[in-house]
Amino acid sequence: MGEVGVGGSGSLGPGPEVAAAKLLPFLAPGTRVDLQTAAVRHVLALTGSGPGRELLAGQAALLRALAELAAAPAPAPARDAARALVNLAADPSLHEPLLAADPGLPARLLGRVLDPQWPWAEEAAASLSNLSREPAPCAALMAALAAAEEPGVSGLERLVRALCTPGYNPRAPLHYLGPLLSNLSQRPAARAFLLDPDRCVVQRLLPLTQHPDSSVRRGGVVGTLRNCCFEHRHHQWLLGPEVDILPFLLLPLAGPEDFSEEEMERLPVDLQYLPPDKQREPNADIRKMLIEAIMLLTATAPGRQQVRDKGAYLILRELHNWEPEPDVRAACEKLIQVLIGDEPERGMENLLEVQVPEDVEQQLQQLDRQEQEQLEQECQELAPEPWGERAAPT
Amino acid sequence: MDAFLEKFRSQPYRGGFQENQWEEEFEKVPLFMKKAPSEIDPKESPDLACLQSIIFDEERSPEEQAKTYKDEGNDYFKEKDYKKAVISYTEGLKKKCADPDLNAILYTNRAAAQYYLGNFRSALNDVTAARKLKPCHLKAIVRGALCHLELKHFAEAVNWCDEGLQVDAKEKKLLEVRAKADKLKRTEQRDLRKAKLKEKKEQSQNEALLQAVKARNIRLSEAACEDEDSASGGLAELFLDGLSSENPYGARLSLDDQGRLSWPVLFLYPEHAQSDFISAFHEDSRFIDHLMVMFGETPSWDLEQKYCPNDLEVYFEDEDRAELYRVPPRSTLLRALQHPRYFVKSLTPAFLVCVRSSLFWKNYLQERKVHQI
Repeated sequence: MGEVGVGGSGSLGPGPEVAAAKLLPFLAPGTRVDLQTAAVRHVLALTGSGPGRELLAGQAALLRALAELAAAPAPAPARDAARALVNLAADPSLHEPLLAADPGLPARLLGRVLDPQWPWAEEAAASLSNLSREPAPCAALMAALAAAEEPGVSGLERLVRALCTPGYNPRAPLHYLGPLLSNLSQRPAARAFLLDPDRCVVQRLLPLTQHPDSSVRRGGVVGTLRNCCFEHRHHQWLLGPEVDILPFLLLPLAGPEDFSEEEMERLPVDLQYLPPDKQREPNADIRKMLIEAIMLLTATAPGRQQVRDKGAYLILRELHNWEPEPDVRAACEKLIQVLIGDEPERGMENLLEVQVPEDVEQQLQQLDRQEQEQLEQECQELAPEPWGERAAPT
Repeated sequence: MDAFLEKFRSQPYRGGFQENQWEEEFEKVPLFMKKAPSEIDPKESPDLACLQSIIFDEERSPEEQAKTYKDEGNDYFKEKDYKKAVISYTEGLKKKCADPDLNAILYTNRAAAQYYLGNFRSALNDVTAARKLKPCHLKAIVRGALCHLELKHFAEAVNWCDEGLQVDAKEKKLLEVRAKADKLKRTEQRDLRKAKLKEKKEQSQNEALLQAVKARNIRLSEAACEDEDSASGGLAELFLDGLSSENPYGARLSLDDQGRLSWPVLFLYPEHAQSDFISAFHEDSRFIDHLMVMFGETPSWDLEQKYCPNDLEVYFEDEDRAELYRVPPRSTLLRALQHPRYFVKSLTPAFLVCVRSSLFWKNYLQERKVHQI
């Protein structure tokens, strides 16, 4: 969630640090609600600007009081406190002071996110999503998730359940669980859970690549899936009948094209006979991530074969014709090259007709080697998250 | 005692088996029964009725009785006698015992028996009842998912699996059923999309055909209604009726890439009560073109060999006025259809064909007024 502003915030007057410290007593539990409300408004206004956040970074007691207020029951001004936390968590330089002031913050926010009755669960999810971009708070959150285990249900499972259950919290759509899970999936332990073949986790996320209500949720889920695709040992399983990930990555990239009967038969059922009003994913970043995820699945020879067999080329060909964003187009081109490049039957005759000078041939081989190396290198490191940091190398 | 023993010496033993039917009698002794009778009649076999009353003693608690019925049902189930298993479980449920777990098991087991009998709806009702008593009863959830799968409620089957996986995230059967149901759900959605597109395509094709017919000023019969508004609506309706009405050859009006129409056309030969059907008569083709091909060889019914292409005349009938119009054989189909008195019936134009100056035809024409076009 971006920074949350508050209209018409009053000036704090001279000596802002003094003023900030003076707010502390009004944030304490048990204070008159109107005073609490006014004080939290001031803090919220401060969190909207860099200098304001810098000021708050030095006020450990105030940060702690704010964090507690954000989880306090009505009539406490929990919403504004929660929004202030979202703003603070959006600034990586505040992560350390926040966690130092309140080490239990990730666990408390998690409790609020998973509470189906909590009215400000969306803000809590956004705070966690912002916090989990950085490795240290992400690790702290993983620990909190491990501690949030209920009998037979791990903390991550509860999180996925909240994300996948429509109306889990009637007062909060919890879209920010998407980017939160995406950030968590940078960690091997989270991926191990998501990709456990004895469970049904990643399968439940797949339909959300088409979630119409929120690009935040879609982007988070697609980012999660892409991070999972780095696990090449799981490619066969991901592409196989148990998960069948490919149609769910291709469907958002497909438009309303009417393919011939023969071409239609080559597509996975999910992509066949799409209605004339079918829209492509409107968000270019998400389209790019989808292409990257498919690219990752082509890292191995059997993976390439499976992606080819399922008619990915047809969808990408049409996407390439349509794609307005140059970098998405480039990603699409690269994937198409991988898909059609290896086929020995196609174009071989033409190549034989053309006389290729020896030095050019050597150059081409050199380029192939370089690209192969680059691909391998890319496969070794996880791609950066748009909302977060690079995941740890596997 | 002595007197009792004396009785055996003086009188023959009456309780023994009859030699000629001992096997049947043997069967009636509970211990030696190979099969329990489906109905126990206390008069026929009092000993069996006694045993039954011991097992299902009314004085025992409903829980104990229900449990006995459950065990009995399970025995039938193991023998694959699902009908009797259903009866036993039903009896167990009738005891209305206070143990919700036992009742949940009775419901779930009855559901399993119903499932194997193919009664998926009843089975579903039972597992639903079981889950009300015991929401996390995994067997009931698995059975429910299987029922939904059988009933082709694929989305529901997936939901039940997901609910079951919340109880046990690694339940193999649920993972398997979920994968299966999900795949079938997606295939079903594809089929729906396909059917919808097909319907839409047909609709637009029909509209294009209707437009083509209207643009040519071709009249469809019985569309000539009194007022204009209903005429246009009636026309479209009549048109669709015509398109959907199957003629014996399955041919229908079609529009080619050049925007030209081809009609299914009927040639009638009243003299011989014969007819020919042309499945696609291009509107720009001439009658003579078809006649040349059709009568290049003498048809079997033309015993007198009179029907030579150049001796044939073509007419159409104005049914309202009972008048005939002679169509020059060199005229195209379109020209004939555009005649102000031509009304196409069932989207299949019909023409009368006869031999010029034949006696039959002269008689036929005498009764009717003939126009030249």
